[in-house]
Amino acid sequence: MKIGILSKRTGHLTGKLKTFFETQGHDVKIYTKKELCLDECLLENDFYILKSKTLFFIYAGYYAEANDIPVIPNPDISGKHKNRLEAYLLIRNAGLLYPEFYYGKFEAIKNQLKNIQFPLILKPIIGSGSRGVKKINKIEDIERESDGFIYLERYIEGIHYLAYFIENEICVLEKPPLSDEHVPMVEISLIDDIRDVILQWKNYYNLLFGHLDIVKEYSTGKLFVVDPGSFPEFTNWKCNGDPVSKIGNLILKEYKKLKN
Amino acid sequence: MSKVKIGIIIDNYHLQHKVSDFLKYLKAKAHISLYVEESFLLTNTELNFNENLFFIKGKGKLMISLARLIENETSIPIINPPHAIWLTIHRFLNSLMLKKAGILVPDFTLIPSDHSPPFKDYIIKNIVDQKTYAFKAKIEKINGNLRVSDQRALDELNGEENYQYLYYQKFIKSKWEYKVYCFGDTLFYYKQIPVLVNPNKMETRIKIKEIPELRETVLKAMKILNLKVVSIDFLKSKEGQFYLTDINSLPNFNYIENGPKLFANYLIKQAKT
Repeated sequence: MKIGILSKRTGHLTGKLKTFFETQGHDVKIYTKKELCLDECLLENDFYILKSKTLFFIYAGYYAEANDIPVIPNPDISGKHKNRLEAYLLIRNAGLLYPEFYYGKFEAIKNQLKNIQFPLILKPIIGSGSRGVKKINKIEDIERESDGFIYLERYIEGIHYLAYFIENEICVLEKPPLSDEHVPMVEISLIDDIRDVILQWKNYYNLLFGHLDIVKEYSTGKLFVVDPGSFPEFTNWKCNGDPVSKIGNLILKEYKKLKN
Repeated sequence: MSKVKIGIIIDNYHLQHKVSDFLKYLKAKAHISLYVEESFLLTNTELNFNENLFFIKGKGKLMISLARLIENETSIPIINPPHAIWLTIHRFLNSLMLKKAGILVPDFTLIPSDHSPPFKDYIIKNIVDQKTYAFKAKIEKINGNLRVSDQRALDELNGEENYQYLYYQKFIKSKWEYKVYCFGDTLFYYKQIPVLVNPNKMETRIKIKEIPELRETVLKAMKILNLKVVSIDFLKSKEGQFYLTDINSLPNFNYIENGPKLFANYLIKQAKT
């Protein structure tokens, strides 16, 4: 088969997946932004893997789907992972908890957040992971963003977890607050309530793999989902087996299912 | 009979420049609540709405987000629905959907800016049409071919957006530019000298009779994108085919005779149903 991977990078998990599929006899082409043309050239592949969620990769996913070429994972759900507001709606509609957020122009934030309890977390409205994320301890720490809009979330005092899932396997790690998925983390044994959150999320959206950043609040014991990821690097996967072959096989299985 | 309550989600620009007649008329007929993008703080903690209908006059990030929350939490109708606005903003996606549905749109592509232009005569348009500034054309003849570029697209190439991509639309030469406004089942037809020839569009704009082909296309496009209110631009090729070149979820009804009043009545009627 001819497989296209839509990805910002050629290395890391993308490169490993390419090697995995090639060793299985498939032709694989990685489309970074440099090579990606949103035109008939995209019709040459049997299916696409949507590794990155930036705008033009999402467009490419929609383009392929409009031409009956399967895209894994689904471009619509993947795109929503990238937008904080849409991610909130995904989490809420799946029946899970999300922290209180505040989104507005700099002046509206300054004028109306005077009575809100700090700390808060500043996040880019479009983005995922920890890029651009900053703890805000007082209102004076808030700076004007380039487009004038500011997105803030209540900072939850609690234990921070990174929970990966691949099909029915779940790998949970305790992570330093506000860190990305690549920092060293310690695997912890799977707790029932975290497993329930993951299964609820995974099953509600019929996801093959992904991750959730979860915080267990000290004061209430409640679990809040603070960031979902549709295609993590699985850098800290510490469960049995190699995540690359697990994901690769799942994708091939899903492709067959979609084609039938 | 009690008045309906209509929520207007708007930004300062449209509030100050585009809706004074509309609001004046509407205020006499309905209760109005204003949600102004620049001063509204969106949060997931206080979501209580008692409006009969929302109308979005803008396409900014916060306005669309607020509408998405209202849509998710209530059954209050929103004109236009936020996903429909989102699609009209994303030029590549709406062109893709319209083409897939069999609507004639000029050939288009989105490619890295260092690649060769895909068409002989073309127009470069902005990729995400979300800001309030207007189309500003730069027209060039290169080796006998026409290259039109919207300054907005060029600014976004390496500017804040840093897209490094260009959206190309094949240029359709047309004597007239056709514009159709629509809300509900009411359509208004106009034609004008293309803005590339005369940037003052209103100077040459004239009202014309219904063109059944355009009516069919407009209603089909609205259905595909789930738009309730729209203005759509067409160009007519030398072969006589109408190409849909632009779709706008935020039409300016001030250009229609009695437009603000007619549109306000339409919203009130929708709010009552």
